[in-house]
Amino acid sequence: MSSDSAVIALESVSKRYGSRTVVRDLSFSVDKGEIVGFLGPNGAGKTTTMRMIAGYTAPTSGRVSVAGYDMATQNVEAARLIGYLPERPPLYDTLDVSAYLRFVAKAKGITRGAIAEELERVVSACHLETVVCREIFKLSKGYRQRVGLAQALLGKPAVLVLDEPTAGLDPGQIQEAREVIRAFGEEHAVLFSTHILAEVTLICRRVAIINHGRLLAIDTPSGLQRAVEETHRVSLEVTAPAADVRHELRSVKGVVAVNVQAIAGHPDIVAVDCQVEPRHGVEAEIARAVTRRWDLHRLERQQPTLENIFLRYVNTPTDTA
Amino acid sequence: MTGTVAVYQKELASYFRSPIAYYVVAVFLLGTGYFFLYNVFLAGETTMAGTFQNMGILLTTLVPLISMRLFSAEFSAGTAELLLTLPLEPWQIVLGKYLGAVTILLLMTAGSAVDLVPLYLFGTPETTTILAGYIGFVLLGMACLAVGLFFSTLTHNQIVAALITAAVLLGFWFVGHLQSFQTSEALRGFVGYLSFSHHFVDFIQGLVRTEAVTFYLAVTGIAMTLSVSWLKWRR
Repeated sequence: MSSDSAVIALESVSKRYGSRTVVRDLSFSVDKGEIVGFLGPNGAGKTTTMRMIAGYTAPTSGRVSVAGYDMATQNVEAARLIGYLPERPPLYDTLDVSAYLRFVAKAKGITRGAIAEELERVVSACHLETVVCREIFKLSKGYRQRVGLAQALLGKPAVLVLDEPTAGLDPGQIQEAREVIRAFGEEHAVLFSTHILAEVTLICRRVAIINHGRLLAIDTPSGLQRAVEETHRVSLEVTAPAADVRHELRSVKGVVAVNVQAIAGHPDIVAVDCQVEPRHGVEAEIARAVTRRWDLHRLERQQPTLENIFLRYVNTPTDTA
Repeated sequence: MTGTVAVYQKELASYFRSPIAYYVVAVFLLGTGYFFLYNVFLAGETTMAGTFQNMGILLTTLVPLISMRLFSAEFSAGTAELLLTLPLEPWQIVLGKYLGAVTILLLMTAGSAVDLVPLYLFGTPETTTILAGYIGFVLLGMACLAVGLFFSTLTHNQIVAALITAAVLLGFWFVGHLQSFQTSEALRGFVGYLSFSHHFVDFIQGLVRTEAVTFYLAVTGIAMTLSVSWLKWRR
């Protein structure tokens, strides 16, 4: 069961297309006032999951609910509360930006009197002032993406589902879009997918990682970091025979595993990768042990970056039942 | 209702900002004008009967070009993901789109009325017969558009939607010709009943028969219901 404050709740959701299972037994929830980042390689099932939350497709089994509405049967009622930006911005190319937003506003049931004000709000939030009267097919990729985001924000939905909202934006625009999402997430529930890992640490309270349609982890960014901290690594380059250096480093306290590789073009130098225990001072002991006998060229401790965490989760082979 | 109106307005705006509507209306008016000139001035006919007959066939070939984009274009452009996740019931979307297409049909019909000017100037046509013909023409068009709308919900490829619609509509137009191959009276009746053109002939002759009106409205209703059901089911 999901918690009471959950605005988006998935309970053992699966989606099959014919014999292909795209999402398997997925369960998680997003609370009010929470921004959850959705990570996974291409084809992991992110888009399908978001489509199910937005009500575009229904799950084969399991239950998706948004604000208490069952998306399988009450999707139209729930749609009032959902702002959805699909992977490809859903734009009518021949309309101009204002006609397009006006259509979405009307379809969302925003009253005639409130439409102008609502349009003004999303246009300024997404910085679209200069293109309001332009036809959509004439817009650059960045503007198209922002018109798509503006459309999702119309009607102040309780839930925002954004499929790669920052794709196609330049660095300045990315920052602006993040601000919009962050501001929105203070009072609403936001689920957004991205390929930019740094984005997740910047604005998300929690991160969900999926691959092959399964949820691999869901935690705060720092929680994920702690979970993989036992795999701290120290890498170094040293002028030494491979067998000797391996033997020497294995005897250093705190070193769990040693991997030695030759460096192309430098017959004397080897690259060493040590898996170490997560405590201070291990790299100093490694340095001492090596410099007693050989020349040390480089030594660095590798922190678990979000990239490492992500790759570690995604590359861990899962039993595909 | 506001949802249907919103979709309807969006449809009209899209139609008139894309060249296809102008193209279809222009081809229809040119075609109608040609048939009218031929029937009246060359064949010496003083009624609209022949012209209406030709307008019917022209319609079945042009309707697919109007209806193909109704849903296929939404699927291929990705806008279906917006349209089908807005707080709109599928019937509101289908109805809004359908009424947009019917508006184009009515514009075509109104445009073809230009042909009546010389008819009234140089002859004494029967107004009631002509009115009946127009009623039949609009009903026929409505049924054809509903069929086209249904096929456009099935594919994201506009060309495929148009070709299937054209094939089906021409099939229903000419199905009456199978009558001559049937020995059984029941089959002859059935094949005749299915024919889009048989019912249309009644109107051209000035008869607004309940049976013919019901037939076109039933085809429209069935096609619309199937479209709504399919949109719900495909999720």
